[in-house]
Amino acid sequence: MSRVFFSSWRGEIVDNRHAPEGESAQTAFKFPEEYAADRPSKAFIGWDGFVLFQEDVDVVRLAMEYAAQYQVYSEACGRCAPGRWGGRILFDTLDKIARGEGELSDLDHLREIAQSMSLTSKCEIGKTVPTPILQMLEYFADDFLVCINQKRPSPHYGDEGTDYKAKITAPCMDMCPDHVDIPAYIEGVRDLRFDDSLAATRQTMPLAHTCGRVCPHPCEDACRRTNLDQPISIMELKRLGADYETEHQSEWFHPVERQPSIGKKVAIVGSGPAGLTAAYYLGMDGVDCDIYEELPVLGGEVMVGVPPYRMPTHEYQKDIDFCKSAGGNYILNTRVTADMLRRFETEYDAIMLASGTRISKKVRATNERTDMKGYWPAIQMLDQYNLWERHRMGEPIDLTGKTLVCVGGGFTSMDVVRCAVRCGAKKVVMLYRRDEKTIIRNTSYEEYHEAVEEGVEFIFQSAIEEIYDEDNQLVRLKINMYEEQPDPDGGRPQLVKMEGADFDIDCDYLVPAVSQDADLKYLPEEWELEMTSWNTLKTDGKTYMTSRKGVWAAGDCEYGPMTIVNAVGQAKRAASVMSRYLRTGKIELSDDEIMEDHLRKLKVYNKGEKVSGWLAGLPREHSEKLSVPDRITNNKEVNQGFTQQEAIREAERCMRCYYIAMAAV
Amino acid sequence: MINFFIDGKPVSAQKGETILQVARKEGVYIPTMCYLSKVSPIASCRLCVVEVEGTEGFVLSCQTPPTEGIKVTTNSGKLFKERQNIMKLYDVNHPLECGVCDKSGACELQNKTLEFEVTSQSFSAKEQKREIKNWGRIQYDPNLCIMCERCVSTCNEAIGDDAIEVFYGGYNSGIVPKNSETLECTECGECIAVCPVGALIATDFKYSSNAWELKQVPSSCAHCSSACALTYESKVSKTTHKRELYRVTNNFEFSSLCGAGRFGFDFDNQVAAKNEKAFIRAIQAMEKADTIAFDSMITNEEALLLQKLKTLRGYKLVNPEAQAYQRFIRTFATHSGKQLYSADLDDVRAAEYAVVFGSRIKTDNPMVRYALTNAVKQQRSDVVYLHPMEDADMLNTVNQYVKYEVGSEEGVMALLAKAFIPEANLSSDLQGYFNELDEGYLSAESNVGEEEIETMQRRSARRKNRVLILGEDVINHPRSENIAKLAGLMEQYSDFKVLIVPPKTNSLGVALICDLDDTAGNYTLGYNVKGDFTLTALGASGEEELDMPALNQQEGTITSIDKRVVPLNAAVPYSGYSLGDLANALGMKLDYTVQLTKELPVSKGFKAVSFDSLENDFARNGENLRGYVLENQSVATETSVEEIADIGEFNGTVVYRCNPVLQFNAFTNKASQLKELNVLRGSSQFATAAKISDNDHISIDLGDGNITKKVFKLDTSLKGTIALLGSFDEAISAKTVPYAYRFKKTKIAPVGNSQ
Repeated sequence: MSRVFFSSWRGEIVDNRHAPEGESAQTAFKFPEEYAADRPSKAFIGWDGFVLFQEDVDVVRLAMEYAAQYQVYSEACGRCAPGRWGGRILFDTLDKIARGEGELSDLDHLREIAQSMSLTSKCEIGKTVPTPILQMLEYFADDFLVCINQKRPSPHYGDEGTDYKAKITAPCMDMCPDHVDIPAYIEGVRDLRFDDSLAATRQTMPLAHTCGRVCPHPCEDACRRTNLDQPISIMELKRLGADYETEHQSEWFHPVERQPSIGKKVAIVGSGPAGLTAAYYLGMDGVDCDIYEELPVLGGEVMVGVPPYRMPTHEYQKDIDFCKSAGGNYILNTRVTADMLRRFETEYDAIMLASGTRISKKVRATNERTDMKGYWPAIQMLDQYNLWERHRMGEPIDLTGKTLVCVGGGFTSMDVVRCAVRCGAKKVVMLYRRDEKTIIRNTSYEEYHEAVEEGVEFIFQSAIEEIYDEDNQLVRLKINMYEEQPDPDGGRPQLVKMEGADFDIDCDYLVPAVSQDADLKYLPEEWELEMTSWNTLKTDGKTYMTSRKGVWAAGDCEYGPMTIVNAVGQAKRAASVMSRYLRTGKIELSDDEIMEDHLRKLKVYNKGEKVSGWLAGLPREHSEKLSVPDRITNNKEVNQGFTQQEAIREAERCMRCYYIAMAAV
Repeated sequence: MINFFIDGKPVSAQKGETILQVARKEGVYIPTMCYLSKVSPIASCRLCVVEVEGTEGFVLSCQTPPTEGIKVTTNSGKLFKERQNIMKLYDVNHPLECGVCDKSGACELQNKTLEFEVTSQSFSAKEQKREIKNWGRIQYDPNLCIMCERCVSTCNEAIGDDAIEVFYGGYNSGIVPKNSETLECTECGECIAVCPVGALIATDFKYSSNAWELKQVPSSCAHCSSACALTYESKVSKTTHKRELYRVTNNFEFSSLCGAGRFGFDFDNQVAAKNEKAFIRAIQAMEKADTIAFDSMITNEEALLLQKLKTLRGYKLVNPEAQAYQRFIRTFATHSGKQLYSADLDDVRAAEYAVVFGSRIKTDNPMVRYALTNAVKQQRSDVVYLHPMEDADMLNTVNQYVKYEVGSEEGVMALLAKAFIPEANLSSDLQGYFNELDEGYLSAESNVGEEEIETMQRRSARRKNRVLILGEDVINHPRSENIAKLAGLMEQYSDFKVLIVPPKTNSLGVALICDLDDTAGNYTLGYNVKGDFTLTALGASGEEELDMPALNQQEGTITSIDKRVVPLNAAVPYSGYSLGDLANALGMKLDYTVQLTKELPVSKGFKAVSFDSLENDFARNGENLRGYVLENQSVATETSVEEIADIGEFNGTVVYRCNPVLQFNAFTNKASQLKELNVLRGSSQFATAAKISDNDHISIDLGDGNITKKVFKLDTSLKGTIALLGSFDEAISAKTVPYAYRFKKTKIAPVGNSQ
């Protein structure tokens, strides 16, 4: 809900121009009323319409400035005839009117070029830029006519009192926690310019191999193509650029040139996705980083959690090597302690905590003891599996003839059961509290389907009541079954225990994989860092600085166990804020970041929008997967990736839904 | 198969075909400006939009595959209006200099402006003045550029240089060299060909002619065995009053041309009149001669004529290069079971796995390289490049470079055959042969590691359409016969298709048509090689030479790398004598040499068709209609293979016979735009080893009795102690020395410095 003077957005018109005092209508949308603290917005304009927060807004100038922003954007493009010339004509004509030199016929030319742009432009940006301008011509026609008829500049033409802050977005980019420039990397694939594709990804995402393979792709839930047929296979198209670089043994494609050192030092705790991301962007920005890693290998949970059949070592190593190419001193086998952190505060100019969540939570059953033989927390099991399979460190896991039961429902539990299959287990059971639909939503259709194919037995709506042991060796579990009863208030269905449905499972191992906690015992107590109710480090979710100045937190230790892309997004933002802080001493966001957060709130994707200009019914491409016999005894990558032709066809389905949003402040 | 309707007509599409492709196949016109069949849809012009019943807005036909049952409308008032507006936008500030623009008359912007009846302009934008860029043989005028991006896509997808890119600047956008201040590329000039307007032009052609003044003669390029389709364009010069060649154009929609073909066109032999005295001396020489030596810059018909002369008069026919090729493919045939290798350039384009072995392919045969580029871009194929020298220009294409030691080709071939022929396909004898191969020794001596072979096997495991491309290094290898046997086994028993690149323009034709002799006799008539009497298309000088027509001055056919017999046409007149005249003087009865086209040996796969019935074009769907393809006949097989010979060492300063980009032979070097000095090109490491430096005049002792003087040029793109030496200046001076292995141990001595 926002208070507006006038707004036109997604068909909703709120017109308070003639509303009596105190009776003004409100809009249902979360517009950026406050651009930043103590900086109210005057107006907001975007692909769907425009909003005036104040009465005294120069609408003609606003239209012209929006067209000007499209000119700025198209300096990064200019790749279709209607967009390249049309945008220029749109701007030139609006500017002519705004400076008081317009003629009535210019309005016709404006409408004509607007129509051509919206019908024939290549991307949504060219198609939608005319939208708010046409609406202004409709609802504020008089403002334009005054300029034209009286040959007079618009009220604030040439004034410098207003800043116009623009931001390019897209529904997918907005939804991506890391705001990866998705349309750009897909365009790189479509154009068969894989170097460009990879460079586009790496503007915000250094782990291109990884997030081209194991990202749960929230972006695909916001793909506009869904409104037409099926979402683009966004995640898999990311692989193409990264694989090209690897296959052609090219030099690293960096999105920008590395800056010379500014003489500032940062300590990063943890070398998982968040730590690597921060080290990369800080390094590229000229900041010297020391990265401390507790384990004998770099890469965090993607290295020791995600198994090689989903994320091959060689490819992840490429991502790590790429991050390392921005400099950084990586220190292995070193668990950071409170004393060290105290020292870091004096030795470094800033600290980044990115230590993840590495304590598996308990399943809360009777007789649950971590010292029981056969009780095997997921993190420990996956550590052992991956360290052996990837690095030949430690011991291999042999489950021949054994039964393993895992309690979970997220990606980690899927990894546990599928690794257990690969370790030769006789029987692998997954217990999950809720139903099949939910497990698919929490992970992915592919992940669940592949686990079933590999012979994992799923028992839904179940939980462990008691664990039985013989001489401290786990032997059996007592299982309760539950029924889902709809919540009368429309919330999540209630789980109600089914009487008489209990049963026992004989097993050798129980792997709890229900969730993880952050292990933050290493923090100095006297720092009194603020915590969330989840026992993770609290930040404002924008700058990612903790309650202690100079100490940042990103990734799972901030958010709780979440996705790789979430960790990367947080770390990228934190690195950007830190880099500014190291230069200016101020904790602040860039305009781009402020707009990014505003748009996130407003939501760019509109599920109900009717898409025009594209033929519906072109199916999403599916890449080849290794057959079950070809994969269950080894760690070969299951997903073979797109063939080139599949990738090109899939990339050609992308509608390039770029939009420009602009705030007048 | 997807059935749908275009303008009410029921049509169908194959999987992957777009609406535009189906429309073109069906002969339905949809206007385009940026579309180019040979690259992926660019989608910049937006002219190809169509209406689809039930779909709001317009649909882009160039990149949209149809769905079942849709009804497509390709033209309507609304579509015309929007297409007209796009043309108006293209015309905004386009300089009105058609009168002096090279493209005028053949300009797609002009054509479409007229087609869409743009008679007035309702849009305007600020004008901008932009500088014309001079990139050597190529010029770029951004003022004329409409940003269709055809050039960029072509350079990246069809050629592989990836040398130009779009400078993103909205209204100020332009085309710029990629990662470089000026254009650095192999100068194929294909960007000029595909440019729909006058933005990219050939510097040499600029202001020299209007398009409509030029006479067009479709022919085939005579410079290498790809024999690409091209059109010679000529007019009568106002200064010399002779018909002269002005440029070459090509069907850029479905084929490409390299820079030698595009810029090296004026190699015609201009002869004032018939030189009767020389002709008589030539006849006398022929009567005296017991040998005719010739090279493979020759038509099939002339080759047959020579063969007939051999039958008639018992000449020895000597052509060591073609003979080496002939031996290679004949031996190959005995082990593959087919007279010819099975792969062609289309197979390379479709390959998911390609192995290039024994060739510096970029310059040996640019079309093979372009086909590999296509494969990599369209199929993401794995390309393995086995050679003693890396080629920096191939990095975009190659994803596994395997370096082997000079001389070890036979061992490498054995390792390949063992790695890729499934054991089960082999007889027990051959199984035994491969089991007994001393892989350790071969690996150690060739320097091709087991790991490299394993990588090849792993990467190829899921790859279909495998191709093995063999180059001249193995054809002219001392152990070529056994290499050919092993390659033949690969063809027969593995799923690889093999392509054996003919080293010269018509090596394949000559190899099939002529019975060649090992050594010359006492008196040699040379045809484009030095003889006791010489027939030359490079311009006769002296008493012992007679002019001959160059390959752009005569009709005839060439047998290309694709095993395709393609026609050559006379682009400029020739007023001297031809080989046919000499043959007639010796008693043969030929009205025209191309009478022989239908007499080419059917037993070798040729067809008894007349020259005039040969087409030289592509169908609307891109199908190659040029000439005809040889029938690949079965031959009796044998399976004998020899032990791999000991691998000798090639230490010190090694020189590799390899032409620079744009050069193939004395004819490319004769072309006015391509003439250059033949220098020895080497790395700084080579310079150190040879104790020479940049621009030194040096003498090179090739160890075969030939000492040649050259200038040394440092080439920073090269590594190692092998230097490159072209042979493009040698066509005439070369005696009939054995056409030997391309690598030579040399002695190099400085004789001065030019700086």
